[in-house]
Amino acid sequence: MNNNKVYWKSVDQLAQSETATTFAQNEFAEKIPTTEFLGDDQVMESQTSRRDFLKYLGFSTAAATLAACEQPIIESIPYVIQPESLTPGIPSYYASTYVDGEDYASILVKTREGRPIKINAGDDARFNNSTNARAQASVLSLYDSERLRNPQIDGSAISWPDVEADLMKSIEVSLASGKQFVLLTGSIFSQSFKSVLATLRDRYSNFSHVEMDAISSSEALDTWEMLTGQRALPLLDLSGTDLIVSVGDDFLSGNSVQHIGAAYAKRRKPGKGMLRHVQVESNLSLTGSNADKRIKIKPSEQGAVLGYLVNRTTGSAGLASEGNLSTALKAQLDDLAAEMRAAGANCLTLAGNNAKGHAHLAAAINSGSNAITMKPSYLRSGSDEKINNLMQAMKDGHVGSLIITGCNPVYSRPGFADAMSHVDHSLALCDRLDETASLCSVAAPVPHYLESWADYQPVSGELAMSQPTIQPLFDSKPAIEVLAHAAGISSSAKELSEATVVNTYGLGWSKTIHDGGANIKEGPALNADWRSRVHDGVADASKFANATASGEWELALYGNSVGAGFQSNNPWLHELPDPVTRVSWDNYLTMSAADAMKAGLVNETQSNGALNGSMVNVTLGDVTLNNVPVLIQPGQAAGSVGLAYGYGRTHAGRVANDMGINAYDLNLTAGFAAVSITAVEGEHEFASVQLGHTMMGRKIVNEVTLADYMNDASGESWNEKMTFHTLDGVKSTDEASLWTSHDHQTMNMWNMSIDLNSCVGCGACVVACHIENNVPVVGKEEIRNHRDMHWLRIDRYYSSDMDKEVATAEGLGGIEMYAKMEEPSSSPEVVFQPVMCQHCNNAPCETVCPVAATSHSREGLNHMAYNRCIGTRYCANNCPYKVRRFNWFNYIANDKFADVNPAQDDLGRMVLNPDVTVRSRGVMEKCSMCIQRIQFGKLEAKKQGRPIKDGEVTTACAQACESGAIIFGDVNDSSSAVLAAKKEARAYHLLDEIGTQPSVFYQTKVRNRA
Amino acid sequence: MPQPMRISRSLYGQIALALILIFSATQPIYGQVDIENGKKLYKTNCASCHKLDKKLIGPALGGIMERRSEEWLILWIRDNAKLRASGDADANAIFDEYNGSVMQAFPQLSTEDIQNIIAYCEEGDKKAVAVAVAPVLEAEEDPTILLVILGAFLVLFLGLLIRVKNTLKQIQGDPAMSLKDDASYLIRVLANNRRFMTFLTVVLAITFLKVLFSWMMGIGVQQSYEPIQPIAYSHKVHAGDNAIDCNYCHSSARSSRIAGIPSANVCMNCHMYIDGSEITDESGLLKYHGENSPEIAKIYAAIGWDPVDRAYIKGYEQQPIRWIRVHNLPDFAYFNHAQHVTAGKVACQTCHGPVEAMEILFQYSELTMGWCINCHRETKVKTDNGFYDEASSHGGQSINERLAARFHDASIMVEDIGGLECGKCHY
Repeated sequence: MNNNKVYWKSVDQLAQSETATTFAQNEFAEKIPTTEFLGDDQVMESQTSRRDFLKYLGFSTAAATLAACEQPIIESIPYVIQPESLTPGIPSYYASTYVDGEDYASILVKTREGRPIKINAGDDARFNNSTNARAQASVLSLYDSERLRNPQIDGSAISWPDVEADLMKSIEVSLASGKQFVLLTGSIFSQSFKSVLATLRDRYSNFSHVEMDAISSSEALDTWEMLTGQRALPLLDLSGTDLIVSVGDDFLSGNSVQHIGAAYAKRRKPGKGMLRHVQVESNLSLTGSNADKRIKIKPSEQGAVLGYLVNRTTGSAGLASEGNLSTALKAQLDDLAAEMRAAGANCLTLAGNNAKGHAHLAAAINSGSNAITMKPSYLRSGSDEKINNLMQAMKDGHVGSLIITGCNPVYSRPGFADAMSHVDHSLALCDRLDETASLCSVAAPVPHYLESWADYQPVSGELAMSQPTIQPLFDSKPAIEVLAHAAGISSSAKELSEATVVNTYGLGWSKTIHDGGANIKEGPALNADWRSRVHDGVADASKFANATASGEWELALYGNSVGAGFQSNNPWLHELPDPVTRVSWDNYLTMSAADAMKAGLVNETQSNGALNGSMVNVTLGDVTLNNVPVLIQPGQAAGSVGLAYGYGRTHAGRVANDMGINAYDLNLTAGFAAVSITAVEGEHEFASVQLGHTMMGRKIVNEVTLADYMNDASGESWNEKMTFHTLDGVKSTDEASLWTSHDHQTMNMWNMSIDLNSCVGCGACVVACHIENNVPVVGKEEIRNHRDMHWLRIDRYYSSDMDKEVATAEGLGGIEMYAKMEEPSSSPEVVFQPVMCQHCNNAPCETVCPVAATSHSREGLNHMAYNRCIGTRYCANNCPYKVRRFNWFNYIANDKFADVNPAQDDLGRMVLNPDVTVRSRGVMEKCSMCIQRIQFGKLEAKKQGRPIKDGEVTTACAQACESGAIIFGDVNDSSSAVLAAKKEARAYHLLDEIGTQPSVFYQTKVRNRA
Repeated sequence: MPQPMRISRSLYGQIALALILIFSATQPIYGQVDIENGKKLYKTNCASCHKLDKKLIGPALGGIMERRSEEWLILWIRDNAKLRASGDADANAIFDEYNGSVMQAFPQLSTEDIQNIIAYCEEGDKKAVAVAVAPVLEAEEDPTILLVILGAFLVLFLGLLIRVKNTLKQIQGDPAMSLKDDASYLIRVLANNRRFMTFLTVVLAITFLKVLFSWMMGIGVQQSYEPIQPIAYSHKVHAGDNAIDCNYCHSSARSSRIAGIPSANVCMNCHMYIDGSEITDESGLLKYHGENSPEIAKIYAAIGWDPVDRAYIKGYEQQPIRWIRVHNLPDFAYFNHAQHVTAGKVACQTCHGPVEAMEILFQYSELTMGWCINCHRETKVKTDNGFYDEASSHGGQSINERLAARFHDASIMVEDIGGLECGKCHY
């Protein structure tokens, strides 16, 4: 009988016939480069015959074999005088503070043999004691070989005394000619630095200091200065908050000054009084992905939305103007306003943009909120007005001497380069010859934060210390020392900090250093009467907030893991995919699917599984960004597009140069504007690590609403346990097994719990894993080939509008249903799921390895012996979780990866963890559950003759997670936190039905739906 | 027959004279003093601060009698503070010269003891006399000679047999065959014998494979590796003769994965005082003629110690000593000393061999994986450690209790607790 059915290999084959047809006709997915080889004239003219070739081949193989038998002589060079505090092989930890111009975090630096190799979260008593991806990655920026090594004038080296003499001369000239002497820095919150500035001010009448934040908070600062009398932002306290409403504020992405992720996660524990989160935004941000409810608006509507909420929550209708909001949106906002009124003082509203009026409107809504404390945070102080004035003064030729440090205005402020050309003398105190430094008269290196002394006062009542953990690698000098010299103070940075700690605050130096800081007397609190005065300016503020012109296309800028771009040359931050889009090594215009279709823009999956996208030109005023790739983003508000900061660097170094688009070029200090978009020819190649975006109706991430969770504490209705019917009756997946079970009761049994409710998807754990385990960086091209090496990935799933019930209702067949299931909803709910090796106790990988290179341990771990692996990749094929990574190239020596892999130069290699093997080509690798830490922890306990304490041994990912989503420990310890987590009703195993019995388990996500 | 050597009368006379001279030289002026005892007392009480020929912490004591009287010395040594207090000019002068560093009082020394010490100081050690001694080469018994002799016998025997055979053939009337003909005949017969050829091929193949296999298994195995180190350091002298504990120098073996090569400042703890000038050779003569040992001088050169001024040189560019690593493990094998030394209580010698007897350190063990595994199979776990013995802080069973439940009374070997698992050493 004839079979007329047609089967498609893929949805592409059905939908995009052209590519798929070509693909189907070709024997190989990619062209084999025969012409390239045969076309090479030299090859064809070569005198070497085939026989000769075989002879040489044979000889060289034999020679190589023999040469390999020679044992190299290895030297072992001890210290001449070994420091007392140092034992080779044992790490030392130093409390310090991470400040890079954008982020602030209290940290603990792990050093081995005098090299910092890992950044961990700081002491609990300190402010911002958690590390985001950038803080984790910052240790590699120390070993960046592109750092400036010595002071330079026009590319030739000069000495530090010459730099200082040159500076003094320029100051005197500026003083004599009646011109200004200006210092441009990032936000300054160091007491020592401020006292040096005061001396400078006293000494030079023409001195002025201007602060600048790359991503400006100037408008919010202006608002709070007006309201409270202090140019500082109030600290937030979420302990009593029940509802967070964020209008365009991406507060979880790590770009906000205060790390509130931990407090947020703590308040999001499922149960009574669980924090509810509503996000009103245009781009699907990381924060929006975590919201219980997300309302899509265009960027220009943000002011109107805030005004609408002011009118409905403060009890004074008509106070603010509401613009022209659609009826549908108004209905949603009415519901939201009702919730906000119900939450009362327990509601917090955040506004994320730097547009005039937004912060004031949010403050008006928050006038009764208990989350706003009167404690000031000094982390941001940049002023847009002052920078504009400075640029004008520079253009007018009023600036004689300019010192720039801690910021990169030529990159982040369009027009600054032009203004600088009118300055007589400029000195950049910088870490590299960046866009700004390369235009300065003199560029001189400052030490990395891990090489220098500093003191900070990030918030009222807090003194934080930064201490060096390594000798300066280059001939650098802290900016504060150069300025002190100009001020006539001949003290080192250490002496200045010591004077502040000991003399100003009356603290003990050693203890303060050891603790990474101290609590000091609180500064003046913010004026509390702002709550009553805030309503006065609302009408004006709302006028400004509604002033932004709307347009067919509106662009809102955002920050991803690269942030403002201070650490653009750090390959770890690029290798980490954007948590929401899952695209790495790029920035792009995010656009909704409907808009893209309308504009004729496409994203296509190529025959090799890589993603290509159309490109557009984006124009704002007289500035055009050319060839911006477009990425279709579910959840993007119609008519809006998004673009990330931090890319398009030209002088950052070989990793970052010419990668992506510089969003600062649009001069969007407000953060959003109407733009025009025109499609252009050509395709852009994306490096996306995830192509399947939905769960296709499977229970990969288990979800439950808060109401259902509260109704059924046992979890039977929403976390059904899989069972098997066997000859011996019904058995759970843990009991039914074909294999003889392992002895897991005798020794320690390591398990890991991942709480999907706490995980916000930030990616700090991914970077931490990279650092801890010497995971190679593979670069954009290999990621496109799906050869990414992440031992730990964070899968992101969108909900789909299609499910089995809808399909039945609409009478759809299986193929149509599954095809539709692949499409994410245009307003999706988003879940993040970190997936690493699940350490199955019935591991499918172990049974297929022909050489037993992967095997099971008594401690519940799936071991991987690299030296035994012969690279058949059967294990990766058989792994249901797809967590095994094959090492395709010699990443540490192959020239192809010289630009991206830090292990390829002598400096970058210093960051490698000496306790973990650097894997070579041809072996399989995967998460080891940080076995080096387990072994170290057990040995420490044995050395001290005691059992392991719970929490003493933890993995790099668990340690890096600020929201505490990952718990690691020994389930044979009856008091361990991980055992308690295992017994929770929310716990389930990923793909439980296949009976792998993993050592990793997940906690069901609970959504706080109204 | 050779004549027995006759010693002339005059030679006897010369020897006797020499003996008298030597004796009179060692027992010259001081009558009843005991120089040997003096030397012993000197080494115990004085040597840490004084040398005979040069300044150490205190002044050189050789020829002390030229500068001081015996009575003064007795008073000084017994209680120099009292002597200084009495206003003695010499005593106070020397005290000032040494920046007020106080010499210990020795009230326990009798006058006789002090006289003995003084006598030793005057006499000094015997200086080495440069005598060219021709090295005596002993012919060792070489088994190859026996084999050669045996082989020669066999050849002779074969020749004899051929001779006999040819004679017999001649008797029979057949033409005599030469040796060459014989050999080629034999080879022809054997070559045509299929069984023999199969046998030979198999034997050759097995031999070849065995040799190849052994050779390949030896790749990377550096047993008996004995590199020449930048300093001719002797573990025998330090760990053997002077019984210095291994952990004194390799202190991190107890706490870290790395046993550690001591930094030069650890060497200086002792070698600030021991400069090698007193090292004697087999004949008891000073090996370096009272000079510093050139090997110890290398430490001084590394760290910047001036042995004459007895001080570290300021601003010296220190040079680390570039030792050659003897025990090398591949990068993918993780070994931790503390695990074995502290937790496993394994003696250093178990793996490193009789280091205290090694003049030059060599790799005693194979350091192959098979060797490691074998030990993990045969070694009992030291379960008296609190790690195994105590339950976690909030109750539950200790590992020992759980081990007892599983293995009953059998002794628990390292392999039983996972000592053979890949991930314990490879990560």
